[in-house]
Amino acid sequence: MISVDIERRRRRTANVFTLAILALWFVAGWIEPPYLLPGPANIAERLWDFAIDPHMWVHAAASLAHVIAAVAGSILIGGCLAVAAYYLPVLRLAVHGRLSPFLNSFSGTGWVLLSVLWFGLGGFTVVFSLAMVLIPFAIINVRQGLESIDPELIEMAKSFGHSGLKRFFLIILPALTPFLFSTMRICFGVSWKALLTAELFGGDTGFGRLFNLARQNYDTPLVVTVIVIIVAAVYASDRYLFEPAQARLSAHYEAV
Amino acid sequence: MKRSGLAASDTERAIGEGLPLVFLLLWWLTARSLPSFILPGPIETGETLLQLFIDPAFVGDTLISLARVVAAVILAVILGGALAGLARYVPSTAYAVQRRVLPVLNSFPSVGWAILATFWFQPDSASVIFVETLILIPFCAIALMQGIADMDRELLEMGASFSRSSLKIARKIALPMLLPYVMSSVRIAYGVGWKIALVSELFGVDHGLGYLMLRAEVIGNTAMVFASCFAIVIIFVTGEKLIIDPLARRFAIH
Repeated sequence: MISVDIERRRRRTANVFTLAILALWFVAGWIEPPYLLPGPANIAERLWDFAIDPHMWVHAAASLAHVIAAVAGSILIGGCLAVAAYYLPVLRLAVHGRLSPFLNSFSGTGWVLLSVLWFGLGGFTVVFSLAMVLIPFAIINVRQGLESIDPELIEMAKSFGHSGLKRFFLIILPALTPFLFSTMRICFGVSWKALLTAELFGGDTGFGRLFNLARQNYDTPLVVTVIVIIVAAVYASDRYLFEPAQARLSAHYEAV
Repeated sequence: MKRSGLAASDTERAIGEGLPLVFLLLWWLTARSLPSFILPGPIETGETLLQLFIDPAFVGDTLISLARVVAAVILAVILGGALAGLARYVPSTAYAVQRRVLPVLNSFPSVGWAILATFWFQPDSASVIFVETLILIPFCAIALMQGIADMDRELLEMGASFSRSSLKIARKIALPMLLPYVMSSVRIAYGVGWKIALVSELFGVDHGLGYLMLRAEVIGNTAMVFASCFAIVIIFVTGEKLIIDPLARRFAIH
């Protein structure tokens, strides 16, 4: 058991570390020109400009919409494939032994460039290439969920005469819920990593588009501002949204 | 319903092995009615893929990408291991590593590093390795932290009672316990390296599969884009089967 004192010391060290990094950044930003390394004050200013510019909110909303659509699509497609392999075991090797490893090792950048050639620039290109990156994560996680279902529960449902569809909605889907949630959490984190590449090469709106404009204009402060927004959004959503929700979900299912 | 552990049935095997063939056939049929810049056929793609491994004009790009990924994986394992070790053996730094450094590195967009590197450095192999390493560090650090946390403390204590040399204890007891996790972090980093970190070759550099892919996309050489992606799949699977899997088996805890 970690004593309160050690816990407090660890927190203090972490805070001192954060302040030291900010101080270093401040000094480096003061020495270097803004196109090489904009300082924290410059970034704070740009963050404020970003917050009051409705045009920037359109880009932020577009990126969020791309992520939500890709995560939903990949969970739906990956989930259906995993469920198909579960109900029709003859598909198991095809889904888990062929399709999933192939998609898992196919380059995310490759999907982006191929979808630009196939669909041109636009939201669909971004969502398609992101979904192709996320689908194997969904297949693997949903498979794990399906394999962890207690077979005795299913036997019991069968003995009560429940049909296959009823068993799916009454036993399998509820048992899968924590896994679907963790799939969503993983896909959400991964999608932000791949999103900018997809939008940079294939999108006409979103943070990636801003990145592209900033890169062409050597606007390093805008690049760093977008990075700060993404890091803060991903960190905050995982820490304050997904983590507590998953803990509550796990507690609920353990209690059940 | 659950059949894990059982040998695949003949039908399952036939469908599993038949899937790539059906896919190739569908691809060939679809490509016949489409221009090559939209969908090149499997034969054209296969020929381009072969060029990436035997044509001196392209083999350098394939090898340099491989060398960059391998260098980045090695560096990421070392630096990730150092972060994991720091968090464990200097306990006051645990929060700084786990709640500051890793979450920021983990949520930092890959392309963000790539663009910043083009502003900061001359685009070359060193800048690509820099970007790839930074992308891979959190994956390695998280796997190695788990490894350090799972080490058998009683075994370490027993080692300490037999020898006062901490170097000897580390080499004879701690390292063998940690090696499976090192291999797991190598496996993860190698996979992510080919999947995401290749983005670092899209900006500025004039060699590598990422560069080839982008140049091919710009001139509408879809066969080369496909071939580069398949080359990555082949190198990834070969590296995993021929190097990572045997090493992982060798270092597994029995």
